[in-house]
Amino acid sequence: MQKQLKKLWTELRGRLLGATQPLTEPVLVFERFRRVLNSNNQSLEIIADLGEKLGGGYIFDRHYIETGVERLRGTVKASIDGLNELCNYRYEDLYNVYDRLTGELELLLAGREDRKGPQILALDVIHFLDWEIVGGKGARLAEMRQDPFLQVPDGFVITTKAYHDLIDHNDLRPMLDTFEKLLADTGAESSILEEERRKLVREILQADPPPKLLDTLETAIETLAERAGGPFSLAVRSSAQEEDMDFSFAGQFRSILNVKAKVEEVYHAYLKVVASLFSMEAVSYFRLVLPNERQMSIAAVCQRMINARSSGVAFSVDTMAPDNETMVIVGAWGQGDAIVEGHIPTDTFIMNKDDLPVILERTVVSKPQGRYQAETGGLETKKIEPSLREQACLNDAELLLLSRQVKHLELYYKRPQDVEWSVDESGNLYILQARPLIIAEGALQNRSLPEALADYECIVAGKGRIAQQGIGAGPVRIVNGPADLLDFPDGAVLVSRLDSSHFVKVMKRAAAIVTEVGTPVSHMATLCREMRVPCLVNVENILSLLANGDEITVDAEDRMIYRGRVKELLVYSSTATMEVGYSYEFRLLRRLLKKVATLNLVDPLLQNFTVTGCLTYHDILRFVHETAVMELVSIGRDEGKLLHGHLARRMDLPIPAGILIVDIGGGLKEQAPDDGVKYTDITSIPFHAILQGMLFPGVWHLGGMKVGMRDLMSSMLSAPADTLDGRYSGHNIAIISKEYVNLCFRLGYHFNIIDAHCSKNERDNHIYFRFLGGATDITKRTRRAVMIASILEAFDFNVRVKGDMVVARCGNMMLKEMERTLDILGRLVGFTRQLDVRLDNDSIVEQYVEAFLYGNYSLVTDQPAVL
Amino acid sequence: MTENTLVRPRRLLVIDDEAIVGKRLLQVFGKMGFKVEVFDSPAPAMEAAARDPFDIVVTDLKMEGMDGMEVLTRVRQLNPATRVIIITGYAQSETAEEAFKLGVFDFIPKPFRLEQLKESILKALDELEQEDHVQ
Repeated sequence: MQKQLKKLWTELRGRLLGATQPLTEPVLVFERFRRVLNSNNQSLEIIADLGEKLGGGYIFDRHYIETGVERLRGTVKASIDGLNELCNYRYEDLYNVYDRLTGELELLLAGREDRKGPQILALDVIHFLDWEIVGGKGARLAEMRQDPFLQVPDGFVITTKAYHDLIDHNDLRPMLDTFEKLLADTGAESSILEEERRKLVREILQADPPPKLLDTLETAIETLAERAGGPFSLAVRSSAQEEDMDFSFAGQFRSILNVKAKVEEVYHAYLKVVASLFSMEAVSYFRLVLPNERQMSIAAVCQRMINARSSGVAFSVDTMAPDNETMVIVGAWGQGDAIVEGHIPTDTFIMNKDDLPVILERTVVSKPQGRYQAETGGLETKKIEPSLREQACLNDAELLLLSRQVKHLELYYKRPQDVEWSVDESGNLYILQARPLIIAEGALQNRSLPEALADYECIVAGKGRIAQQGIGAGPVRIVNGPADLLDFPDGAVLVSRLDSSHFVKVMKRAAAIVTEVGTPVSHMATLCREMRVPCLVNVENILSLLANGDEITVDAEDRMIYRGRVKELLVYSSTATMEVGYSYEFRLLRRLLKKVATLNLVDPLLQNFTVTGCLTYHDILRFVHETAVMELVSIGRDEGKLLHGHLARRMDLPIPAGILIVDIGGGLKEQAPDDGVKYTDITSIPFHAILQGMLFPGVWHLGGMKVGMRDLMSSMLSAPADTLDGRYSGHNIAIISKEYVNLCFRLGYHFNIIDAHCSKNERDNHIYFRFLGGATDITKRTRRAVMIASILEAFDFNVRVKGDMVVARCGNMMLKEMERTLDILGRLVGFTRQLDVRLDNDSIVEQYVEAFLYGNYSLVTDQPAVL
Repeated sequence: MTENTLVRPRRLLVIDDEAIVGKRLLQVFGKMGFKVEVFDSPAPAMEAAARDPFDIVVTDLKMEGMDGMEVLTRVRQLNPATRVIIITGYAQSETAEEAFKLGVFDFIPKPFRLEQLKESILKALDELEQEDHVQ
């Protein structure tokens, strides 16, 4: 490939010596384009590689993460360099974006990411991966607020940024550094540590607010007040980065309840919460349990306090008997703080976990006291009036609702939950907190797990690839198309042939996902990892072994699928002390990937598709690719130069498509002729597949249309006449290599671009399709766009439509899938050529979509033309 | 795939200064029925090995105090039957060669798929079982 280009280049250079070299020289253009493509592919590979490690089937260390990021920095820069070379340095401001992002990544790697961002964030605007500044509890609450099935009190978070500002504003940084060093030093004298600790706590409790914090706090309180629509007080609770994770810091930090909704009071409550980070209990716990972790910081969640009539706790698994598959609800009158501490008598209810849970056991005790909000702030203990003491603190309807919500939470987070709840005077149920439930290993049964597993029938063993680790069980639900997703039952196992990103609609409710085809780097796999849905892909023939409704257990750690509900595995999974996804390296990698891999620039048709719209490395890569393709389309196609310079060859096809090929390496057989290249001479994998589709019988209608349409049709159908006159317009140009194609079609008034990379390496694979149609009126053109979009979505493209323009993408698929999809695209190109004049109404669109999807390409010629 | 269903559960020692490695392996091999002990530094690990030998040792190369090669040598001195597997993020062919000369059972560069380590450990198990039978 190099040789061919080099030869051409030397020839051309010889001719041009002495003259200035315009960047429009095709060879130069192709070479530079190829380089952009290469560095883009390398970058995407690294990103996919990093992402795959989050699935859980890998052991990796910090060194791996650092090396990956460093390599990525280099390849992304190379992409930007390449684009600028290609486009005559029109995109130098991409470097500003790049520099800023690279700086943010460095902060992340240095563990200082909790020092950036706003001081206060409302719960409703927080994204789950804002953990770095809102802490575990804050992130969880924010997420639950988005869930329409749950009611969570409104509030805001005072972030770790505020904490760092507080430290710096009060000159406490040196003291903090000293303390943290001592903490990490296992040989440090405990008396010295204790002295430093006390000093720090004293200083914090007297600290001045950093600039702007009080104003921002005031605004936040006012906003809450407006939404509350009545008097209220606040609960100020700690949200540390390590809290609620594997090593639960439950109870080590402080919660200040019933704080008046005034700035001064909230600020002082906040200071107490911050100081609790350095309480004696917290410090000894930290030393014992997280000896290697870097320093922690703390955020504080401020929520509207519920005037509780009853409160309590619910465990989605009975920790005393986990294989009973029951849940336990515990409660009393008033607020929940004493219940959580275990200080007062409580009612106990045991429920099963059916769709409509049944009360299995009810133990109502005498409840002489309860905790309530005190006038002056905080809580006080009050006597319960005698008539209520023996009454259950929850009625049946409330129990039912609560247990359904607990079950929902367990399914949502894919592991047992410890839930705090409150019911107010009006009977409204609120979820105050939900965190992973830690179950002691002693609760396990006597037999070893391998022994127990031998009792179950194994449907499939050791097949497939892990997209996301975990264990899930439930009834099979076979999904063949989008319709099957509409009534997807809660807790079912999704089984499908293809892996589609459309499955995201049910991921939160699915117990697990199994597909016959697919890769751990596909879009669906990435979504599974985000939602932590246990997922196995590429499990060949699994559909032939399962039927709808079959109960199965998917072990996506060991790649086993068992018939039936393997309780032992489920119990094992709920007792496993490590939530891998919460460990430090995982969180670091997740945060990094958020900064690197999240795609914001999804739609090239939108306003934000600009340099300033690039918020991540992936955005930059997407922008670079789109821009480079467009550049190639516009300047690489001066036919005169191409034909005169013998860079292009005409194709000889059974259909009048009028294609010129430029081979930039390995796209053609050695013996291919200089003129009249045949379909069989094509060695470019993607181009070959597209042609296969275009040549599919019936797709490219050669038959005559009805009289009256003929003129219009003939202009669309006719192939350009033979000529090597450089002026000719009307050829369609394909730039190809062994694994790449950039095909630009002008067919009549239609304008198609297909840009595809198709190789054994699924991470490099993508298909990009752009369609713009002309002729006929805007209504028909829009219908056509809708028709094309519907068809593409059925093939799992990501599609954007704007008026009569369609832009679609798909990628990261295995070679065979790619070829199949490209074939379909080829057929689509042929099929749509014919249809403009026929798109008289919207229902015809549906007919044609269906016809295409069923492979009925002749529908067009069968119908009489509408005049 | 051989399961670990012997009368005497096999003992596995893991030494790696990155806590996550030990945690993961504890989880995975505990599930398979091994008795797993995890250390983040070589010195206490060697003490434990001296008290009660392990069947299989999985160790990193670059650690504070003692590097993986030394661990390899010492462990095999204590108990020649122990199989040692080295996992490392700094893999180079010369290091691998040296390790094999010193009698390492397997040398796996990081990042690796857990499957790989599992297979390696199961192979080591097989060998140990053969030896047991012979004796």
